[in-house]
Amino acid sequence: MEKVLEVKDLRISFQTFFGEVEAVRGITFDVGKKETVAIVGESGCGKSVTASGIMQLLPMPPAFFKGGEIFFNGENLLNKTEKQMQGIRGNKISMVFQDPMTSLNPTMKIGKQIVEGLVKHRNMSRGEATAKAIEMLDLVAVPQPERRINQYPHEFSGGMRQRVMIALAMVCNPQLLIADEPTTALDVTVQAQILELMNKLQDQLGMSIILITHDLGIVADVSDRVVVMYAGQILEVGLTEEIYASPKHPYTRKLLASVPRLDMSREEPLYSIDGTPPDLYVPPKGCSFYDRCTEAMKICKDQMPELYGHSITHQSRCWLNHPMAQRINSANRSEGR
Amino acid sequence: MTEPLISARNIKKYFDVKGGKLKAVDGISFDIYPQETFGLVGESGCGKSTAGRTIVRLYEPTDGELIFNGQNIYNLPRKEMQEVRRDFQMIFQDPYASLNPRMTVEDIVAEPLDIYQAWKTRAERSDRVIELLRLVGLNDEHVLRFPHEFSGGQRQRIGIARALALHPKFIVCDEPISALDVSIQAQVVNLLKKLQNELGLTYMFIAHDLSMVRYISDRVGVMYLGHMMELAKSDELYSNPLHPYTKALLSAIPIPDPEIQKNRKRIMLEGDVPSPINPKEGCRFVDRCQYAKDICRKETPKFEEKKENHFAACHIV
Repeated sequence: MEKVLEVKDLRISFQTFFGEVEAVRGITFDVGKKETVAIVGESGCGKSVTASGIMQLLPMPPAFFKGGEIFFNGENLLNKTEKQMQGIRGNKISMVFQDPMTSLNPTMKIGKQIVEGLVKHRNMSRGEATAKAIEMLDLVAVPQPERRINQYPHEFSGGMRQRVMIALAMVCNPQLLIADEPTTALDVTVQAQILELMNKLQDQLGMSIILITHDLGIVADVSDRVVVMYAGQILEVGLTEEIYASPKHPYTRKLLASVPRLDMSREEPLYSIDGTPPDLYVPPKGCSFYDRCTEAMKICKDQMPELYGHSITHQSRCWLNHPMAQRINSANRSEGR
Repeated sequence: MTEPLISARNIKKYFDVKGGKLKAVDGISFDIYPQETFGLVGESGCGKSTAGRTIVRLYEPTDGELIFNGQNIYNLPRKEMQEVRRDFQMIFQDPYASLNPRMTVEDIVAEPLDIYQAWKTRAERSDRVIELLRLVGLNDEHVLRFPHEFSGGQRQRIGIARALALHPKFIVCDEPISALDVSIQAQVVNLLKKLQNELGLTYMFIAHDLSMVRYISDRVGVMYLGHMMELAKSDELYSNPLHPYTKALLSAIPIPDPEIQKNRKRIMLEGDVPSPINPKEGCRFVDRCQYAKDICRKETPKFEEKKENHFAACHIV
């Protein structure tokens, strides 16, 4: 498959008063054409920093790229100047932000906000751009777009604003859409509408999507592949079916088990992961999930496991999946602690 | 059947706004039985949080009765109400905003004790605080710390400890887990369940996460725009929803299993929740309902028992 985006060993840190926080610690993944890749993880695991890093929207300082490369259509984005990035942002790569309430400019009419991008990137006249904006709002199912483009964001409901955000992001036919928790602030019924819409637009416009979320239900619904992040690292990556049917990393397994399902009995206790993620001021030397893992062994504390392959598409970062670890049965695993 | 702990009858809460009355809660009735968990679900703006706050009388109700221990607590004068409040506690949604950042954990948890003068010596006060902290899975050493030193899940535990300080009978949990991460949500839900078993608590659990509500609740009520649409035992509601709104709501929950999810048929609701300001007569859901008939626009459907212990407000069912 043709690759639109390739992230290689990306490291992003923040310089703070208390020292350096390593928010993203060497992640590698790629996104194919027309593919939807979901990045899942808890808050603070680095998923949003990764997204903003690709867009180069991080405030620098305090943030800085410590290493790695981001290839978009074969070109390294980290070598681009700010001027060049402006030609890419909103044009080839777009982003839908989490909070539709704060990510639109409250002092500008909706129409003007959409037209702005078209005039800049597509050299359209205002008239053409307005026509395109109306067409786009119609596409994202905003009723009466002719009237709506002259309204301000506060006149829209949350779901409608998120549609406007999507229209805004898609108006230049981007090759890659980064959606950072696009439905977290919305109700389930509206969420279903928005996801359906993104799916439809992906088919029509043929773009790739990076979906950042913590909702494993949404991931199962829309993504082709899943990247599981924890404490700034990728712990597991695989096709959606592989991740859900045979999760290989204990963290993924526990994460899946801690979501209540509509078909589970109410008597059995909900699986909970004790403890909290590690402090990234002092990232652990070994596996970052060591403290919370029930299957941890001695080696997990001292040495970081590599990514081990289970299939061409499925890899996980856990010592239990080391080729030599096959013979150890699960009873012995817990004794290491 | 056991006596209900709480009976809400036709509770209404209107707010005066520009342009009329905002009918946040418009006549809801239900019973909550001792030691059960009553779930209340609905989309944002449906009035579920207002309902919770009106029940503990944080908001003065516009109309209605709330029978607790044989008396209507909405008629009680301030002094007596304060006594009743011992039995009614609340856990709030936002663990970052509901703890005073300038108070230590000890003072936060002991505040209800201070108000009701429930201690004689300082030692008794701090013993009780430590007991409460241990109950919710925190340590003695946390006593002198401030809220900012804790994670979201831990803060929610502090909020729970505070709610338990006066041995309440009934706790309204207003979206207690929606601000937390998935792995932490499970910790807090398991804690709430454990406390319910140990202390014989009764919960009203308000949330918009339907799978979590099904998991924790014995009975579930579905609200839409200030009205109760459906109420049933949790398994019954989720396996046999009667109201078209409940059906749509349930079909919109993404299931964390790609096999099921990709082959599932969704009922798509068009449009948004209408404004609760001066709502029209008739069923509140009529504009988004695919089965809507003329009668639905003219007459507000009665909330009645359609099956045994399964209530719904719909003309079509």
